[in-house]
Amino acid sequence: MDRRKFLKQSSLASSLFFVPSFVRAFEEVASNKLGYKRLVIIQLSGGNDGLNTIVPFRNDIYYKERPTLSIAKTDVIKLTDEVGLNPSLTPLKRLYDKGYLSIINNVGYPNPVRSHFRSMDIWQTATDSDTFSQSGWVGRYLDNYGKQPYSAIEIDESLSLAMKGETINAIATKDAKAFYNLARDPYFKNIYNHQNDTHLSEHNLGYLYKSMIAAQSSAKYIYETSKTVSSLQEYPQNKFGKQLKTTAQFINSGLETKVFYTSLNGFDTHANQLNTQKRLLKQYAEGIEAFVKDLKNNGTFKDTLILTFSEFGRRVKQNASVGTDHGTANNVFVIGENLKKQGFYNNVASLNNLDENGDLKFEIDFRTIYATVLDKWLEVDDKKVLNKSFSQLNFI
Amino acid sequence: MKAKHIQHLYRRIGFGILPSQLNKLSKESKKKIVEHIFKTSQSFKALKVDTSEITDVFVTSMNGKKLEPEVRRKIQKISRQKQIELNIAWIDRLATSEQVLREKMTLFWANHFVCEDNNIVYIQKFNNTLRKHALGNFREFVNAISKEAAMTKYLNTKQNKKQKPNENFARELMELFTLGEGHYTENDIKESAKAFTGYSHNLNGDFVFRKRQHDANNKTFFGKTGNFTGEDIIDIILEQKQCATYICSKIYSYFVNDSVNKNHVLAMADVFYKDYNIENVMKFMLMSDWFYDEENLGNKIKSPIEFLVGIKTLVPTNFKKPKQLIYMQRLLGQTLLDPPNVAGWKGGRNWIDSNTIVLRLKLPSLLLNSAYISNVKNGNEDVMMTTKKEQFKKKYGKRFSTETNWNYFETHFKHVKISDMSAHILACEINDNAKAYLQSLEKVSKQEYCIQLMSLPEYQMC
Repeated sequence: MDRRKFLKQSSLASSLFFVPSFVRAFEEVASNKLGYKRLVIIQLSGGNDGLNTIVPFRNDIYYKERPTLSIAKTDVIKLTDEVGLNPSLTPLKRLYDKGYLSIINNVGYPNPVRSHFRSMDIWQTATDSDTFSQSGWVGRYLDNYGKQPYSAIEIDESLSLAMKGETINAIATKDAKAFYNLARDPYFKNIYNHQNDTHLSEHNLGYLYKSMIAAQSSAKYIYETSKTVSSLQEYPQNKFGKQLKTTAQFINSGLETKVFYTSLNGFDTHANQLNTQKRLLKQYAEGIEAFVKDLKNNGTFKDTLILTFSEFGRRVKQNASVGTDHGTANNVFVIGENLKKQGFYNNVASLNNLDENGDLKFEIDFRTIYATVLDKWLEVDDKKVLNKSFSQLNFI
Repeated sequence: MKAKHIQHLYRRIGFGILPSQLNKLSKESKKKIVEHIFKTSQSFKALKVDTSEITDVFVTSMNGKKLEPEVRRKIQKISRQKQIELNIAWIDRLATSEQVLREKMTLFWANHFVCEDNNIVYIQKFNNTLRKHALGNFREFVNAISKEAAMTKYLNTKQNKKQKPNENFARELMELFTLGEGHYTENDIKESAKAFTGYSHNLNGDFVFRKRQHDANNKTFFGKTGNFTGEDIIDIILEQKQCATYICSKIYSYFVNDSVNKNHVLAMADVFYKDYNIENVMKFMLMSDWFYDEENLGNKIKSPIEFLVGIKTLVPTNFKKPKQLIYMQRLLGQTLLDPPNVAGWKGGRNWIDSNTIVLRLKLPSLLLNSAYISNVKNGNEDVMMTTKKEQFKKKYGKRFSTETNWNYFETHFKHVKISDMSAHILACEINDNAKAYLQSLEKVSKQEYCIQLMSLPEYQMC
């Protein structure tokens, strides 16, 4: 080998050798100093009644259509001259006052479907209402950008469609220790101990082994990382409060998870809505307030964005059982520290321009919210995840 | 017929075969065994839970008026309870029926003609329509499905009226049920939707054709123009060879191999296209040499139902609380009667994620052996076994309250040497590393060894 060639090769070799460690060091700086942005999604399952959540207390149509179901003007927590919050949402008012809340009204999609399952699928897969997809939008984010199954975690026992990708699925766990214990029987460790895993995914059996190894290391990583912190914050004693407490623990321990998914069920209020919704909104608001406090105390709130949605809103006119039937467009809450648009992102619907079912017409496609969050918050190519280009909003 | 080929056959058309049964068949020819399979599946037994509480209400309310909200809520409540019963009965049927092939085909069609409904009467009827036509004529099958109450609800044919067509059923009929995506135009959907206008049902769930809502004008569909009915549309669809190819390709990937061999599927489609007789094409497939090719053996990942039912066929297991069996299905990602959407479960590798693989590996020991997987080295005694099992029972016994019949297993495995067990329990070879590890362990008993085998990733294959 002549000298020039040798020099060339060795310099190439050394540069190859040094680059990765430099990059890694930079990445560490980046994640420690610049922060690590996370998204927390909260799903209000069953179809939350948006009109009794954000109440248009000066709208005559509202009171006319809901003679026994409206919230009295005097009870509403006023935010503007026109609209206010359901009285159960006092904790949310405090977040609003600090500028941590952005309310986006009339969010929906074209040709709305009023079936829970179908509409939830549409929200979770981010497809058009006449298209079926077997992968969710967070799942496709994982496919393209998540390195590990634990890049997204659902705080539940099983995975929602939103969290399933084409090639990689997120992890579902509401108890990191239980998941770890399930995965770590000594027997399992020994069956692959010295497995040469380079050709593992060629066939289905190899794929199973690969999945098993990934699951075991994820379970161990989540448990061992998250157990290093314990929360001093008090949360409301209910399932939702517990989910948020676990989420905060995961976030505050520095778990490298980008998306968390939680849900609060029971919003399908066809009959005797007032008390049910009151109870649920209270759980929601108290939980969120504790969660935000917990994150703030640990310096992680600035890097966390909380997105709350429901699969549809409910009909403007109340039904005969002092409840409401399935409707269409609804409000979405965005909670975070440095919001560009604090308070109301847009006006509430006037209620004098309803569709043929007597439901709200949507103004903002929910996928424009996803696109905004993907592009501006998670900083990835939203078109790759949503398989389509959507215009973006200006709330973050 | 070779033992391993009989095992392969039964793993695919059912949930496996017990050694005692295998012994009886081993001297028979392929032809005889296959014919026997069809013979035992010839008749049709409906799967029924008692729904009289609801049908009684129907009888008193048949005066054409709408049900009172209160009555409707009551029906919904009973329905929810009965859906659980039907789910459990179905699992039980899968595990114990002698009509192995018919039941496996029913399971297959349930993920082809995907449907759900919260009314137990309608969904039970739908389920039995799947079972009835499972090996019959595909033309009659599609027609029957198009007229099922549950389907007219699920895909909105009920709302499909002359003045205001709803294209949902027409679209899925072609995209998912007969032709596959890309083999029709948007205009074909619009036109055929008109042909299905007027399809509806009465309270009992019987098909009703509402003539006044039917669009009797001419429709142009696949280049033909005429005053087509829904039945005509199905006839025209079945004239397309693509329909036979599409169905055969789905059958092939379910029963033979996830990755489809085009030549094999085309050969099947040639048989199927002749008369759309499902039994004939199934027979052709099971008699083909390629069905038993080495590359098709033990290469498929079991569905959660295949996994759960498979366990039950080896060691009969009953959940003392039926809801727990539903819960297991949910955690594993497949709850019968509750498909994710009209496209059904994707299957294959999509069954597997971090949660489901961990649960699948641990479940046999959890259900059958107090969560215990023996791992003592050769020549040692398993001293911890009894204590550990008792500890588990004390701590979690309530959560996993199952009744297991190990005697059944012992009886059927009586004449099987412990060294031969893996060929009966697993569909594929154990990888070298796991094999070496298993060989280093003490074979405490057939029961403990069975659990060890069932706790391997290899047990997930069929």
